[in-house]
Amino acid sequence: MRKIADILFILFATAMLTGCKKYLDVNSNPNSLSVASEALILSPVEEGMSSYVCGGYNAILANYWMQNMTLNQAVPSDVTYVVSNSAFDQPWYNFYVTCLNNLYLLNQQATTNNNSSYAGIAKILTAYTLGSATDLWGDIPYSQAFQGVKKTTPSYDSQESIYTTIQVLLDSAIAEVTRATGTAPGSDDFFYTGDMTKWSKFAYSLKARYYMHLTKASGYTAAAQSQLALTALGNAMTSYADDCYFPYTGTTTASAPWYWNFFNTSTAIFASTYIDSLKARSDPRISVLATLATNTGLYTGSVIGSGFGNLNDYSVAGSAYGNANSNGYVFNSDEALFLKAEATYRVSGYVAATPIYRNAITNNMLKLGVDTTSTAAQAYLTARGSLTATNALQLIMEEKSVANFLSMENWVDWRRTGYPNLTVISSANGAASGITEIPRRFLYPLNETTSNPQSVQSATITDRVWWDTK
Amino acid sequence: MRKKSFSRLFLFCLFICLSTWGHAQSLFKLKGKITDTSGMPLPGATIQIKGKKAAVIAGGDGSFSISAPSQGTIKISAVGYDPKEVSFNGGAELNITLSSGNKSLSEVVVTALGVKKEKRNLTFSSQEVKSEEILRAQEPNVLNAITGKVAGVQITSSTGAPGSSSAIIIRGITSLTGDNEALIVLDGVPMNNDETDGGGNGGSGSNRLADIDPSIIESMNILKGAAATALYGSAGARGVVLITTKSGGKNSGKPTITLSSGLSFETAILAPRQYTYAQGSKGVYVDGVTAKTSTSWGPRIDTLYQNGVKVPFYNQMKEFFKTGVTNNNTISVAGGGPTSNYFVSYSYFDQTGTVPTAKLGRHSLFTKFNTQITDKLSLTTELTYTYSSKNLINEGYGLQNPLNTVYIAPISYNLKPYLNADGSQRLYRYSRDNPYWVLDNVGNTSLVNRFLPVVNLAYNPTSWLSVTERLGADIYTDKFNNHVNIGDISYPTGRLYSVDENFRQFNHDLIAQIKGKYGKFNGSLLVGNNVWSKHYDYMYATGSGLAKAGYYNMASASTVSYSENSSMQRKVGFYSQAEIDYDRLLILSLSGRYDGSSVLATSNAYYPYGSAAIGFIFSELLKDRLKQIINFGKLRVSYASVGNDNVGPYATTTPYVQVNSTNVYATNITFPYSGQNGFVISSALGNATLKNELQKEFEIGLETKLLDNRIGFEASYFDRRMSDGLVQGVALASSTGYGTTTINSARIRTKGVELLLTATPVRTKNFSWDVTINYTKLNTKVLKVAPGLTQTNIGFTYAVEGKPYGMIYGSKYARTAKGELLLDDNGRPYNGGNDFLGTATPDWTGGITNQFHYKQFGLSFFFDTRQGGVLDNVDEYYNLFYGVSKTTESRADRIVSGISASTGLANKISTTAQAYYQTVSYITEAQIQDASYIKLRNVSLSYSVKKSLLVSTPFKDATITFTGRNLWIHKASNFTGSDPESNNTYGTSNGSLGVYTFGTPTSRSLGCTVKLVF
Repeated sequence: MRKIADILFILFATAMLTGCKKYLDVNSNPNSLSVASEALILSPVEEGMSSYVCGGYNAILANYWMQNMTLNQAVPSDVTYVVSNSAFDQPWYNFYVTCLNNLYLLNQQATTNNNSSYAGIAKILTAYTLGSATDLWGDIPYSQAFQGVKKTTPSYDSQESIYTTIQVLLDSAIAEVTRATGTAPGSDDFFYTGDMTKWSKFAYSLKARYYMHLTKASGYTAAAQSQLALTALGNAMTSYADDCYFPYTGTTTASAPWYWNFFNTSTAIFASTYIDSLKARSDPRISVLATLATNTGLYTGSVIGSGFGNLNDYSVAGSAYGNANSNGYVFNSDEALFLKAEATYRVSGYVAATPIYRNAITNNMLKLGVDTTSTAAQAYLTARGSLTATNALQLIMEEKSVANFLSMENWVDWRRTGYPNLTVISSANGAASGITEIPRRFLYPLNETTSNPQSVQSATITDRVWWDTK
Repeated sequence: MRKKSFSRLFLFCLFICLSTWGHAQSLFKLKGKITDTSGMPLPGATIQIKGKKAAVIAGGDGSFSISAPSQGTIKISAVGYDPKEVSFNGGAELNITLSSGNKSLSEVVVTALGVKKEKRNLTFSSQEVKSEEILRAQEPNVLNAITGKVAGVQITSSTGAPGSSSAIIIRGITSLTGDNEALIVLDGVPMNNDETDGGGNGGSGSNRLADIDPSIIESMNILKGAAATALYGSAGARGVVLITTKSGGKNSGKPTITLSSGLSFETAILAPRQYTYAQGSKGVYVDGVTAKTSTSWGPRIDTLYQNGVKVPFYNQMKEFFKTGVTNNNTISVAGGGPTSNYFVSYSYFDQTGTVPTAKLGRHSLFTKFNTQITDKLSLTTELTYTYSSKNLINEGYGLQNPLNTVYIAPISYNLKPYLNADGSQRLYRYSRDNPYWVLDNVGNTSLVNRFLPVVNLAYNPTSWLSVTERLGADIYTDKFNNHVNIGDISYPTGRLYSVDENFRQFNHDLIAQIKGKYGKFNGSLLVGNNVWSKHYDYMYATGSGLAKAGYYNMASASTVSYSENSSMQRKVGFYSQAEIDYDRLLILSLSGRYDGSSVLATSNAYYPYGSAAIGFIFSELLKDRLKQIINFGKLRVSYASVGNDNVGPYATTTPYVQVNSTNVYATNITFPYSGQNGFVISSALGNATLKNELQKEFEIGLETKLLDNRIGFEASYFDRRMSDGLVQGVALASSTGYGTTTINSARIRTKGVELLLTATPVRTKNFSWDVTINYTKLNTKVLKVAPGLTQTNIGFTYAVEGKPYGMIYGSKYARTAKGELLLDDNGRPYNGGNDFLGTATPDWTGGITNQFHYKQFGLSFFFDTRQGGVLDNVDEYYNLFYGVSKTTESRADRIVSGISASTGLANKISTTAQAYYQTVSYITEAQIQDASYIKLRNVSLSYSVKKSLLVSTPFKDATITFTGRNLWIHKASNFTGSDPESNNTYGTSNGSLGVYTFGTPTSRSLGCTVKLVF
């Protein structure tokens, strides 16, 4: 019986198989592209930089811990340092999968196709994202990353080597955007519409940023880093016309990240620390930085740990960042100007730094639509515009944090310089058990600790990254 | 092609013969009585004059009367008894005794590919559920009708919303991420049972088997082991549910018309909550009007006055839910002549849910026509057409779920009216929608049109050869719309979402079968070929910014994004099965199949597999006296190795996908944007080397009938190992650049025991009692996830090496090494880190059905149970935080017993109840609850009008049945929700198991059905 079956079976099978090969050959995906041009990849990646790297949960958390933002909810919460590894899955995923991997492929493809502008842009944005990531997490994967299943457990590069990589990437990027061979970006480049000069300025500004991050790193000196920064700043952004941002039209499918971050269902509001300091200095920019509370018509921030009150009694992000059609800022020219002020101060002292510092403040005011000749602006500049030997660093950092508002750079600057002055949330106000100082880094995400275990992943939020020496 | 040896069908035909021709002839009346060996009458026995077509059926007392010639022979048959022929001469009354035969001898069941086999000869495990059993459950979804009834089968239901999804998993899971549900085969043709149309922002959908009207089903046979299903190839690796529909009877002459009408009322089973404390915080009242808060940590309401007026009490849940009404009407016509027969059925099912806007409607038309074209060629064509419409709410913790605010609203706040004078929403808190506003302004509708045509051509040129060609299709369009009106809290300008799905599945089988007899050997050989294809086309459109409130056409949207997706999958298979039966004592069955699948790597597209099984009917060897006790006994052993391609299409490549809301999760922006298109690399890494997974199953089983067939016992033990399991969406470290990939890596082992006991403790003239008990214990362990990866998250749960499936992960209380609670300086528990908190998979399940018959009355009640496993009660997280949980009724300050983390001594610090529960709410462990239950799922009381009373009426049969469902639930003491069974708020997909969160509660139902046969 079985024999007959086998014979019949084999006959049957052979007859049918030839026809079946073709019948089964239908597994090519009709819904997507197997290869995408550089222009198709660049646009969503730029938006990803704005939404995720600059406006994602990582940025929200940095602003909670810098006491700019809080939630109108009971404590303890992530505002008061209650976080678990899983909270960092989404930011890490957005950095590595959404942004870096696409930049990695964009760079590879553009290099192969000899489209140097795209290759340069990919490297600049890679450097930016890597820099943001390493400042949050310290040691991170890079040299073995983006290999898919070829390397399922990429080892972690030390933060110091990431910093070296960033400068190398930026140097080759500058060469590439200057060379500008092959296909030129145009309307697909939402940041600069293909203006390679601006990309070059952006790259130099980044070089300065990452030089200055190492002012207190062991083996580096503030003076030398400042000198390097000043050299780079010679070719960097000089006014807000150089700003790098993603423009949002403000429809529900194209709204600015901070609009969503402060959307009422999130219950996110400004913290009193931030609003009170703006008010105390009578900052004329407050009207665009913050909204008046719906119920009271006042600028009010919530005292972190005070529990929750009436959501409409508090201010949220104003038109500069928080409208649906606000720009999604990636790099403010103000930052380059304040970096110059800081580097100048560190190299040449406060007198030399003062005009640069004042220029930085006015540049920001002008960008935010504040008339710098107005009484309020003049009063502000009078009160805040002069540096002294003792207050220079503090003022530069305070003003930088206003001008660079909502940027994660403010957390880096606080870790580097201790400014603006902040007090840790007390346990009475809901601080997580055992946390008695303001966090200085993120936890590694659960996804990495389970899929790619590394010894460095035991770090806690009060540990310090490499450059953050005491 | 359908052999009329199917005893039930035979009975049916004869019954019809009686009704049409019984009165026509005017010979003399032969009278008599049929009893069994114990003297009990055998109502329903069939009596036929040999050589004539006419037959009658014995009445309730076993007596009969048949028109007969003066002498001849009558044939008597009854299900479960050996047939008998008795000769007669003249009019003397006959007393005929039938000895009970082997039920299993005569029982014929439908097996893989529609091949009918004697149950006694089966070499694998299967369990049949018959029409009466299905109809008695009064469930619109046939899967819910078999919940708890079939050993080895787990039916997972989602929520209490009308039409909400159920899943059928046979012998535990076989795949970590792929389809785990049994293959559904309707009259030989595979039928899609996807879950479609979940709520717009969350909630369960419908499993599409729900499109079938249960009243057209004659029987369902559940094939459990790989040996039973190997012929179905890859698709059958997860078990098969064979649905056989009803047919018309041959030579039935005048048509039989059956009318059935049922009405039932459903009341929601509400979860407990505290009804003592008003809105507020720290004991201070907040009225929700002049000030707002989301919590109910206010003062006692019974003594609460505001401005001298007593604050009224509102029972939010009672006010919100209403009584659901279910109406089910069916009419069917069956009949036939010598060469053809037909069955036509139409039913209309209409249900309004306990949530005011929830509705389910189903028009279902079924026609079947069978004709003998020539002596050797017969044709059966059938068509099922269903139109289903459903209105549903969003469920789960999305903000457009009205239940969210109903469950956690303070008892001191009147939720009505839902609008303020200025047209904005009125609510006791910020950032949520008013539930009554949601009812009027947020909605989901689903419309399904479904066609299931089947053509079956059977050619029997000789007695030993038969050839069957079977063509079938399953085609449906599914239109889903979600609208959110202007003024919603998350979508202030409104939102529209629309999905058009077009599903097509085609199936062809060509089967040749030869049979032969050589001495004591009976043999059969079957060869066949299968060609199958499945197509999905989806269109998604999302619109926002409505032009006008309440205008829900896509034209209303100021921004529209659109995307489409289509996929195709094909398979071919060649199969063969040989069966040899020696002297009805020993049966050997061998089957083999060679499959080709389009979804695997081209080089691995084809894969062979097969099964071998032996059945040994040891009762054949027993001495007669022992055979009186052991009427039937069979041991069976089988081994099968089955290949499977359980992965979706296009998993072999990594494409660039357009950035939009359907392709890329949580994107802020939709491309094309400002005239520019945008693509990014898919986060799911393709794998060009995918091959089939392999399932190996060893099974041993025992089937016996004891003590005059009064006791039946079936037991199976199986050990199933899945290797090279396809894992789609296995998590990669994000630093690899990708979120997930698909690999052949999983290993899963399931060992299981299934027991089925049927007994008839009492059988007398007027009274009988039947009991059916089933028990299932499955032990499923995930042995391997992926190289270098010991766990992967699947939706809300995790697959973890060495653990059962569906592990729930979250934070635990900090504890000392001895297990005492560690408390912080405020005297409150704190988060002790994350760990696995239990599995959503039960330890064991079982059910008991009792059926009593007394004269014309029937009473049955059915208990079933699930023991073990946990659920994640997300409601409890909110309830604890908001002060709504029943637990929070105790509000005194407390010194939590435990160890102070800072001093190491017993805690002496007092904390308030509010601070305590709000702290605890953040610890996942506080909301992990036991999912065990015992349910009185169904009680049914029926009365059939005595046949003798119907003689002068046009009716042949009239029955009234009262049904109660879900009358009693025993829950675990730590379960704080309404029904632990409805613990899959997000539907029945792999990753949604065990999540209980703001779902529609299940209902207690009382109803009545009247059935009339003309």
